[in-house]
Amino acid sequence: MEFTLEQYFALMFGLIFTQNFVLSQFLGLCPFFGVSKNRESAIGMGCAVIFVMTMASVVTMLIYKGIFLHPALKEYHMEQYLDIVSFILVIASLVQFVEIVLKKVAPALYQTLGIFLPLITTNCAVLGVTQMKLTELADPSYSLAQAVWYQGLLGVFGGIGFTLAIYLMAGVRERLESAPIPESMKGMPIAFLAGCCMALAFFGFQGFI
Amino acid sequence: MDIIAIITPVIIMAVLGAILGLVLAIASKKFHVVVDPRTEEVTEVLPGVNCGACGFAGCAAYAEGIVVKGAEINLCAPGAAAVVEKIANIMGMTASATEPNFAVVQCDGDGVRPRFKYSGVSTCKAASVMGLAGSFQACPYGCLGLGSCIEACPFGAMKLNANNVVEIDEDLCAGCGKCVEVCPRNLIRLDPESRVIVVRCQNHDKGAKANKACNHACIACQKCVKECPFDAIHIVDNLAVIDYDKCKLCGKCVNVCPKNLIMNIRSERKDRRADRINRENAL
Amino acid sequence: MKKLFQGGVHPHDYKEYSKDCPLKKAEIPKLITIPLQQHIGAPAKACVAVGQNVKRGTVIGEAGGFVSAAVHSSVSGVVKRIESITHPMGMKCQGVVIECDGLDEWEVGCNTPLKENEEFTPDEIKTAVIWAGIVGMGGATFPTHVKLSPPPEKKIDTVILNGVECEPFLTADHRLMLESPKTICIGLDLLVKQLGAKKAYIGIEENKPDAFAVIDKTLKEMGSLAEAKLLRVMYPQGAEKQLIFACTGKEVPSGGLPMDIGVCVSNVATAHAIYEAVYLRRPLTERVVTVTGSGVKNPANYIARIGTPARVLLEMSQFDEVATNKLIYGGPMMGAAHFDLEMPVNKGMSGIVALTDQKAFNYSPCIRCSRCVDACPMGLLPSEFSILGEKGMYLNTKEYNVADCIECGCCSYICPSRRPIVQWIKVAKGELAKERAKKQAAKK
Repeated sequence: MEFTLEQYFALMFGLIFTQNFVLSQFLGLCPFFGVSKNRESAIGMGCAVIFVMTMASVVTMLIYKGIFLHPALKEYHMEQYLDIVSFILVIASLVQFVEIVLKKVAPALYQTLGIFLPLITTNCAVLGVTQMKLTELADPSYSLAQAVWYQGLLGVFGGIGFTLAIYLMAGVRERLESAPIPESMKGMPIAFLAGCCMALAFFGFQGFI
Repeated sequence: MDIIAIITPVIIMAVLGAILGLVLAIASKKFHVVVDPRTEEVTEVLPGVNCGACGFAGCAAYAEGIVVKGAEINLCAPGAAAVVEKIANIMGMTASATEPNFAVVQCDGDGVRPRFKYSGVSTCKAASVMGLAGSFQACPYGCLGLGSCIEACPFGAMKLNANNVVEIDEDLCAGCGKCVEVCPRNLIRLDPESRVIVVRCQNHDKGAKANKACNHACIACQKCVKECPFDAIHIVDNLAVIDYDKCKLCGKCVNVCPKNLIMNIRSERKDRRADRINRENAL
Repeated sequence: MKKLFQGGVHPHDYKEYSKDCPLKKAEIPKLITIPLQQHIGAPAKACVAVGQNVKRGTVIGEAGGFVSAAVHSSVSGVVKRIESITHPMGMKCQGVVIECDGLDEWEVGCNTPLKENEEFTPDEIKTAVIWAGIVGMGGATFPTHVKLSPPPEKKIDTVILNGVECEPFLTADHRLMLESPKTICIGLDLLVKQLGAKKAYIGIEENKPDAFAVIDKTLKEMGSLAEAKLLRVMYPQGAEKQLIFACTGKEVPSGGLPMDIGVCVSNVATAHAIYEAVYLRRPLTERVVTVTGSGVKNPANYIARIGTPARVLLEMSQFDEVATNKLIYGGPMMGAAHFDLEMPVNKGMSGIVALTDQKAFNYSPCIRCSRCVDACPMGLLPSEFSILGEKGMYLNTKEYNVADCIECGCCSYICPSRRPIVQWIKVAKGELAKERAKKQAAKK
């Protein structure tokens, strides 16, 4: 089955705006609030998430469709109980990989991301994107290559949507730094409120697609 | 269900795990970063206030500085001797004892009399943007009393006294020097503990003018200069200045100063020191 | 259609106090104090000794570098002492105290008028400007000869004279234009000749129609290529970049200088000084100072010697020392409030404003009404500066281009919360400069 150009566009626009992982589906809130203190680390986090999401999408789809749904192994119905286990394995390894690379290449970013970097593993947005269209792409009407390609696109655009959200949030929170906020609302409470308002704003994209 | 249905997924997962593990192993070899475990240990020992007295960006940076760049181990002001000793243990060096520093305010204004009303940003830095002309007090050299140093102090050791001049609580002062940096009038100085004779005025105006500005202003009367047996006190630009290289801390100048602005804080410090040691021992 | 820069405010100009007061020679006091730092750049180096006899025009401070200017004695007398004084800008600097002998003689070689129609080469003009120690007399006190020495790749094609005087209260330039239009126009011609410019303007605001008429007439009589431009009234039109836009429609790029777009701006008083330096061989020893405000009985425009204490001028105007509770050196928008009546007149002091019934206000939080943003003639966000400044986050202001701020004071003027925005900006600029110095030191 081939996607039309409109469908590609819908996929992109949907994942970045209408179905934004953070602001519409409320997945991956942990790093969204954890590392949105300044724009620089937010962009770093965003890039790490884009990488992990894309790679995870591709690899998990390969495993899912290539192994679990392989005609020779189909009788064992592994796709019914082994998907999440194996996906988490893949995601965790990818995150480890990113961590190792970042530690060497960008130690400063590694420092600022801190605990939130290994926590991408449990970022439900990553697992979410691999699960999102799983049943649909499992359909035999998609070839393996097609399924991997579409899943990969899901990963890329999902990651971009996440980056957009966290970058905007970081901008807002940088401004909040200098705002006169009541003592009890400082820090996370006001960040939650700001996140709420931003989610409401993104709700306005609803109905576009 | 036969046994193969159980074995197959196990094998698949095992192979998957092995492959991913291999990739990670290769990656960690390829992107290996050498970390000296001592860095962490030293970070652990440091007080963690990130005051910056050592000249590094924070405690972690100082730890790295010690371990990697071989910085001096006795730079931590808040930690004082105890921390130096611990670092020395980790690094396998011998601790050289350093004398703790204290911040000293060189102003003892007796009621900093306002010359005109100041309405504007109430931080010392902003008030002194206009230089000496921005001085809203009678004494253009003294403490502004707007408390920028109080805000800057990471240890809460500074407060305003009844005369609206800042005072240092030496129990809390760790000698980090944050206040020295922020004071736009350069009134605060870091002194080693033994330096107990202090001139608490910075007024460089001539005697008559200084006298008008403040009751505790140096009028350059030369009494202390004449009294000093070691030639350690001089009048520089209308202000008594002690040359601590020559000063033997005899305290004679303290007795002759007609304005009581040369002070001996030895006895106070002694008590404090005893207190401090007692408390440290109790801990 | 007259061009107008964006933003700006429209304070009442209060010029009625002193605009009809003809120029009057100020008394020469017994003691005058001449600061050696009367310009932006390196301070002048004292080159007289205590006890030395000086005459009017004697060089008492040599220029301390390229961006610096010589300082001359403004009276004849004896040097009493050279001491550290408080400069009207607030810092300490060296000052030469001269006791006048009342003879008021000129130094040899000074005050030797030349014929009106004498021709000068550009180099001769520049030498005369350097010799006379001329600086921008609108208040910025930037040494004029630096403006006259643009790098060769930057060709100046337009000269603009600033006769805007947009600060409320001040009428010094206004009176000068009315009473001495000829010298100003000749001074402008000298500038044009020196820089080889093709166009020249004198910008005058609509609230000075008499000055415009006189200048316009003089320029036409002289057959000068310069053109008098009537501009709409708006503060801060007298700021360099705003004036350039109003006269030519060109914009100076951020962080750039007028010479980057081929423009040179000077004050009318500076042009007058250049005329005096070139044709009359008189160094800069006096300037017009407006003494005005509700705190003086007889507002006036004085021709005061550099170094005259403000008290002398104020007393000539029957200053009410009790009722006055705010004394401003310069205009009320950009000038500095002072407490010291002994502050000497310097090359950039265009007025002394004594105000009564001034209240001290406490400022309130920013309500984000954005009136300062609308008023900012540089298109900046003053509210951000004030908010960041309040939190002590001065270094973050760099992102909002605090360096482009001209400190005109529109934002503080218009702020309904009475926030001292310019003060925060000044602190922020200082902090950023410190940070830069630190970084440079670290690099070395």
